[in-house]
Amino acid sequence: MSRLSSTQWIMIAVLVAVAIAIPFLFDPRGYGIRILCLALLFAAMAQSWNIVAGLANQISLGHAAFFGIGAYTSTLLLIHFGLTPWLGMIAAAVLGGLAAFLISLPTMRLRGHYFALATLAFGEVMRVIGNSWGGLTGGPVGISVPFSQPSLMALQFKDMRAYYALMLGAVVVVTAIFVVIKRSRLGYRLRAIKENEDAAEVIGVDTTRTKILASVISGMLTASLGTLYAQFQFFFDPDTVFGIASVSIRMAMIAIVGGIGTAAGPILGAFFVIPLEELANQVFSAKAAGLSQLVFGVLLILVILIEPKGFMAIGPRLKRLFARGDR
Amino acid sequence: MSAPLLEVSGVSKRFGGLQALSNVSLSVSAGEIVGLIGPNGAGKTTLFSALVGLHRPEMGRITLDGRDLVGLKPHRIAAAGMVKTFQNVALFLESTVLDNVLTGGLLRHPVEDARALARRCLDRVGISGISGKLARDLSFPERARVEVARALCTEPRVLLLDEAMAALNHAEMDEFMDLLRQLRSEGLTLVVVEHHMRAIMALCERLVVLNFGQVIASGTPAEISRNPAVVEAYLGRSAA
Ligand SMILES: Nc1ncnc2c1ncn2[C@@H]1O[C@H](COP(=O)(O)OP(=O)(O)OP(=O)(O)O)[C@@H](O)[C@H]1O
Ligand SMILES: [Mg+2]
Repeated sequence: MSRLSSTQWIMIAVLVAVAIAIPFLFDPRGYGIRILCLALLFAAMAQSWNIVAGLANQISLGHAAFFGIGAYTSTLLLIHFGLTPWLGMIAAAVLGGLAAFLISLPTMRLRGHYFALATLAFGEVMRVIGNSWGGLTGGPVGISVPFSQPSLMALQFKDMRAYYALMLGAVVVVTAIFVVIKRSRLGYRLRAIKENEDAAEVIGVDTTRTKILASVISGMLTASLGTLYAQFQFFFDPDTVFGIASVSIRMAMIAIVGGIGTAAGPILGAFFVIPLEELANQVFSAKAAGLSQLVFGVLLILVILIEPKGFMAIGPRLKRLFARGDR
Repeated sequence: MSAPLLEVSGVSKRFGGLQALSNVSLSVSAGEIVGLIGPNGAGKTTLFSALVGLHRPEMGRITLDGRDLVGLKPHRIAAAGMVKTFQNVALFLESTVLDNVLTGGLLRHPVEDARALARRCLDRVGISGISGKLARDLSFPERARVEVARALCTEPRVLLLDEAMAALNHAEMDEFMDLLRQLRSEGLTLVVVEHHMRAIMALCERLVVLNFGQVIASGTPAEISRNPAVVEAYLGRSAA
């Protein structure tokens, strides 16, 4: 029942082989592999978002809050206390989880658009705090991650392929967590909440606890990925890591385009959205900044109108098409 | 006589200007099948919702085995051993029948045990043949049975059935009543809301009649069918 089929195993084996081969096809200091790393990071982020949004259908537009908390936590601990980003990441996860817990309390009862708007506002509050609390964050001018001798311990590398491996690891870990949750008690309970909250309560689902638990896990993972982002970019500002368009909506869009609620969806989505976005930036940015954002808005609307289940619905669709052709 | 398992005393519930329940009292002993009847809008579903914690009554006490339930959330009441099925059927539509029922089993068991228990519950309700179907693809009578199986999978002490037989034909209804009797013989206590008088008279040893949110009579089926207030309540409505 919950085991993988042989075709799924073959697909996973092929994916792993491709994933290992890919970095050797790119210039290790080039632009292409950077984009690849970003696509992997965003795949992991969208997967974290997918835990709450995909399983319980609580569409958050405020996950940038956790992401930014993660980026700032590890970076500030590194700057002020010389703490290794690995421990910084743990601190980030704790604070991200705490933030998720606190924001869950007032938003938990909200559904649909109301939940989306409340979480959006929370992300914006964090962005404003990031910009105005200059003494802590460095304010709008941004903050730099201090360079250190490249090593695994310092979570800094010269070779882009090391970052690639790191981001790939993040995708694997977060996806594994998603799959385990989906098949566990928590996953069944989240789906019950998504499909009928009253019925779920009546047959014994503690809907409050379930939602908070899922949000906290999602917030912790997103914050940890914020730390990875900081170590990868070396420089960021509040508008980037707490941004609606740059983080919150992008996470949501990637998961939705790929297939919300599925394990493969966020990965497919990221490898579609991130490279395309880069391409659009190169084509348009010289002439009209912001045009690529517009293109993306239109794209998202098209996906939602044509196929709300995203790329993951294309497979079954093709199958049906072929099945019809066979007859 | 032993103390009642479920005791409702003086429960009142108001929706805006409408007094949906006023001063409702009744008690159910362990192992009984009690019928709850009354005209449309009498407050039967509202009483069930209050019992499982979906509505909080403004007044009154509800105790299960001596424990006060008022103010507890529904999942706590389920854990204490009382669940209801929904009159308008509230399944998890995008999930399979097995997953619907399994979710009930998670109240007391880990996933694998809940799955095994769910299979047994489906079997008992006579729908193991459709366990792989999506709930949204089921007919109404099938859905009602899945509701019952899901409730059973929480291993309740008291099961409240809100018109679970509404869409069944005569043969299915007889089969279903046999199931309820058997569950009762295994120690389950049942409160049944049903409009089919034939079924309710055959099944229950005691009936409680609600009208306009008030208990207007209670007794054996024979007593109830002779009670002038009950006859009035039904005839008064249908004549209007
Ligand atoms: N959530 C609610 N808000 C406002 N009024 C409600 C609500 N639920 C029920 N009512 C009203 O309370 C009264 C009792 O309704 P209830 O559903 O309990 O009746 P019932 O006995 O179950 O009827 P039926 O036999 O038709 O199922 C009705 O007048 C109904 O319109
Ligand atoms: Mg009713």
